Amino acid sequence: MYPPPLQELIDLFSALPETERREMLINMAETAPLHAPAEGETFDLEDVRKDEECTDTVGVFLSAAADGTVSYKISLGPQVQTLTRAMTSILCQGLNGSSPSDLLEVPADFVPKIVGAELVRLRSQTVYYVLTRMKSAAKVYLNRLRTAAQE
Amino acid sequence: MVSPYALFAMSEKFASYAFPDALVSTGWLADNLDTPGIRIVESNEDVLLYDTGHIPGAVHIDWRRDLNDQLVRDYIDPAGFADLCRRYGITPETTVIFYGDKSNWWSCYALWVFHLFGHTNCKILDGGRAKWSAEARPLTREVPKLEPVSYPEPPARLDAEIRAFYDDTLAHMKAGLPMVDVRSPGEFSGEVTHMPEYPQEGVLRGGHIPGAQSMPWSKAANPDATFRSADELRGLYAETLGLKKDDDIIAYCRIGERSSHTWFVLKYLLGYEKVRNYDGSWTEWGNRVRSPIERS
Repeated sequence: MYPPPLQELIDLFSALPETERREMLINMAETAPLHAPAEGETFDLEDVRKDEECTDTVGVFLSAAADGTVSYKISLGPQVQTLTRAMTSILCQGLNGSSPSDLLEVPADFVPKIVGAELVRLRSQTVYYVLTRMKSAAKVYLNRLRTAAQE
Repeated sequence: MVSPYALFAMSEKFASYAFPDALVSTGWLADNLDTPGIRIVESNEDVLLYDTGHIPGAVHIDWRRDLNDQLVRDYIDPAGFADLCRRYGITPETTVIFYGDKSNWWSCYALWVFHLFGHTNCKILDGGRAKWSAEARPLTREVPKLEPVSYPEPPARLDAEIRAFYDDTLAHMKAGLPMVDVRSPGEFSGEVTHMPEYPQEGVLRGGHIPGAQSMPWSKAANPDATFRSADELRGLYAETLGLKKDDDIIAYCRIGERSSHTWFVLKYLLGYEKVRNYDGSWTEWGNRVRSPIERS
């Protein structure tokens, strides 16, 4: 159900006591910049959005490999929440190298297993946001492939 | 104990507000981190932000876990408030200084909740967490170890004074009394009914309460998260909206946090005497059967 790298992360976080889970999430948040696009890097699909009122910019950049698998880079504005940053690192590590169709099948129920039910509260629902955006990009990419195949 | 406010060097900006000591500056707080009688409280939208580092000595009040009833959409009761204060080393004499992210949305919200229980000896750090960090002031991950203190249970929650419910707001609307809608223009017009990032806050109907005037909360804040000057704020609320000092005003947003920011501005920076926060806000009004709605 989950790609093996993501399953490993779920197993790791699930076994942690609450204090260590929070520390690990903060560590993951701090590594989010490692998954940002590099200057001049090109991608097969780019989706950058900003909501002026409530959130900061989140950019999703998809690259397709010759074997059909995809990988992502994610850019995060400075006001993006810590949990969202953490989930960005976790998702890039856990989902990169998946096929788009497998990625679309990944259920979101792993999020509380990683984050813990205590932290999934009102206004921290953005923890699901990056997964939603990655799936959206995968779907658009698949639709483009299908359209190109029909032409 | 020397009152820290005997040493308070009031800036020209603060002096022009209706209640100049409703705010403290980052410089003042930095010089008074260890002053007895103060409790610094961080309240954020980002649930992990405090853990990544906070002002030395600050405690974390999470508005969801600590200020809201965990079952019913409401605030904690007086017993819960007293218990909260005891846990966080706050006595009735403590000066509580609030700060947080998002230009002090949730610190204003927390301050408003403290006022609901009669604890009015509260202040906001002008510029909040953003200004403190921008000035490269110290942050720590050390959580203060607090001795238990006593806090008597307040006799009641003072809803009638500063809080408006649906029926109050409906009556207010019918009486043609002033209301300030502090949401974004798109939410006010009805073009936007939900924020993708806040999936629990969608509404079935968009628009605004008939007669409400739009003044987004963000117009009261500078880019560095500090509050605008008194003159600038008067330009917004007194001149543009035509609000008068003795008006009976209700402010609302979507769940009551941005309107807490505006409540603080109107009441403590500009001195409007009667201001209430309709915390049910648009998530209640826009989902309720037969609520009157206006779109523009």
